[in-house]
Amino acid sequence: MIALDLRIEQGDFVLQVRERLEERAVVLFGRSGSGKTTILDAIAGLRTPSAGAIALNGRDLFNAARGIDLPPHERHIGYVPQDIALFPHLNVRRNVLYGSRRGQTLSLDTVGSILEIDALLDRGVGMLSGGERQRVALARALMSAPEVLLLDEPLAAVDLELRRRILPYLERVRDALAVPILYVTHDRDEARRFADRIVVLDRGTVVWSGTSADFAAIRSDPRDPRASA
Amino acid sequence: MNLWEITAFTVVTALTATALMIPPGLFLAWLLARRRFRGRLLLETIVSLPLVMPPVATGLILLLLFSPRGPLGRVLASAGIDVVFTWRAVVIAMTVMGLPLFVRTVRAGIEQVDRRYEAMASTLGAPPLRVFYSITLPLALPALAAGAVLGFARAIGEFGATIMIAGSIPGVTRTLPVAIYTFAETGRDREAAILLGVSAAIAFVALWLSNHLSARAGLRT
Amino acid sequence: MRFLGCFVVLAIALRAPAPPASLIVSAATSLTDALDDVAKAYGAAGGGEVRFNFAGSNVLARQIVNGAPADLFISADETQMEVVQKAGLIVAGSRVDLVGNQLAVVASPERASRVRDRFANAPAEIRRLAIGDPAAVPAGVYARRYLEAQGLWKAYEPRVVPTANVRAALVAVETGGADAAIVYATDLAAARTATIAFLVPPDIGPRIVYPAALLSSSSNQAEARRFLSFLIGRDAAAIFARHKFIPLASR
Repeated sequence: MIALDLRIEQGDFVLQVRERLEERAVVLFGRSGSGKTTILDAIAGLRTPSAGAIALNGRDLFNAARGIDLPPHERHIGYVPQDIALFPHLNVRRNVLYGSRRGQTLSLDTVGSILEIDALLDRGVGMLSGGERQRVALARALMSAPEVLLLDEPLAAVDLELRRRILPYLERVRDALAVPILYVTHDRDEARRFADRIVVLDRGTVVWSGTSADFAAIRSDPRDPRASA
Repeated sequence: MNLWEITAFTVVTALTATALMIPPGLFLAWLLARRRFRGRLLLETIVSLPLVMPPVATGLILLLLFSPRGPLGRVLASAGIDVVFTWRAVVIAMTVMGLPLFVRTVRAGIEQVDRRYEAMASTLGAPPLRVFYSITLPLALPALAAGAVLGFARAIGEFGATIMIAGSIPGVTRTLPVAIYTFAETGRDREAAILLGVSAAIAFVALWLSNHLSARAGLRT
Repeated sequence: MRFLGCFVVLAIALRAPAPPASLIVSAATSLTDALDDVAKAYGAAGGGEVRFNFAGSNVLARQIVNGAPADLFISADETQMEVVQKAGLIVAGSRVDLVGNQLAVVASPERASRVRDRFANAPAEIRRLAIGDPAAVPAGVYARRYLEAQGLWKAYEPRVVPTANVRAALVAVETGGADAAIVYATDLAAARTATIAFLVPPDIGPRIVYPAALLSSSSNQAEARRFLSFLIGRDAAAIFARHKFIPLASR
């Protein structure tokens, strides 16, 4: 699915990642500032790497050597950033349908019922609770027929109670819809629960990669980035 | 010459000029707010030039361009369109003098629009033009309105460039400021005073409205 | 899309036919009232429509030199007419001295007689003298020339208030900003309270002439010539005289 070979100058360190991500649900794990969001931005085309290549399902999104750099609107990526960024001047329905122009693989009915947003469609986005906003953003990304879904800390901004309620929605998307997911988090439980595979990042380099079962077996060590949160 | 006619003519030409400012003004504002390119500072300076140049000098440049022997005037004349000493010259002078204010206001408004919204729209498959008119423009709408009203106010008050390229022909090109000047020059103080009042009232309302809209757009004025 | 609509509407509007061709006469602002009356008389005598472009003569000259389309030019001074003539833009032999003007020294009504008595022999009593800026305004140039000829320039120079135009000099007197002003005799029509202290006789003062000429860029030479001959005719002369100008070209 995603083949990454990236080099990005990032303030006080250089992000350098070389990974093939084949699984249905991959988690990028690491403390904040380790370069996780930068990788999502690079895949989405919002940030240009200084060297390397990104391919999605065999299609070059970026290739420095060959001079390829597809603009974001041609990459077919569904991105739910940490701060959600629902369009404030559009209601929920128009937000959700914004990306549906490039051809739909999912109907609004399907996405609406899986994420339980049918009742919200005619509301203004200012009227939504935190959890509702999260689901609407997810629906919006799904409706643009993405080849991969990028989720940046989808549960970071919500409280524990809400987390317990939203995570099942994310799992439904993962299990019911055939859209691969790249999921960024710094929460161990979330990572373990959601991922088929976990990639641990520290200061821009991959320090560990494996299944969530292996990940769970790692003992907590305060100096080990895998254990950090 | 009827004072009411002068006022109506000025308002109509200023509205036309404002409408003409909008398409190029939006493009320039977007370019300056959102693109980094070589010559950006130069473009910005050129756009703002009419703000600080003597209006008569701007008028002279326009006259050189649009006179029947000028590079643009020749093309228009061959299409049967006269410019100098017609209402079109009034509109052109107003447009050029109002454009910098429009661009500066809208540019500030676009800069206030959070770029994340534009980034999200593009990941959802919207090409740059769609991002502009479906996201950037609606979010910058109060600034657009503020800029348009400001440009309109400047157009209403335009004098120096107008008298140069459009002249002061009663019933054809005579606008409020030109009429005020002429009335004051020829001692018709009553007419001058009335038009002065009209002009000040329009300018006051327009500026008040523009400031109100700017405040709503979150711009500092 | 809405903007596109605006564009279309404007494009159509901009293609609308120009108003029917009529004469355009670029004339000095000071002639406004007199020429309006002349044009009315011309129309009554069966002449066509005349439109005036009134502005300062230097602005008019600059417009003509830069290709603005006018049929006739009437300047408030010879210098600006010469600018146009040197550019080769007037029809050979068409230039005439249309009207003359004379200078007037004005003051507030209560000071008028005192200014008349003291202007030449006690300049110190006139604390401020308003004249058009001698560097730019023709009326100011004439005023300075007159004072120099009378040997009074040295005395008045430190007390001269240069103004942007003749009208501002009048206002300076009416508001008490100046004790006296030198303006054209014809400007008194525009004065509210200022009155004439004395008129400078044409043979003593500088020669003040308003030349007129046909412009070679005119697309309507025959009609322009007709109006010019009306301007120098007897009916027009009477109108100019009524407005305190001195008809020079009357036949």
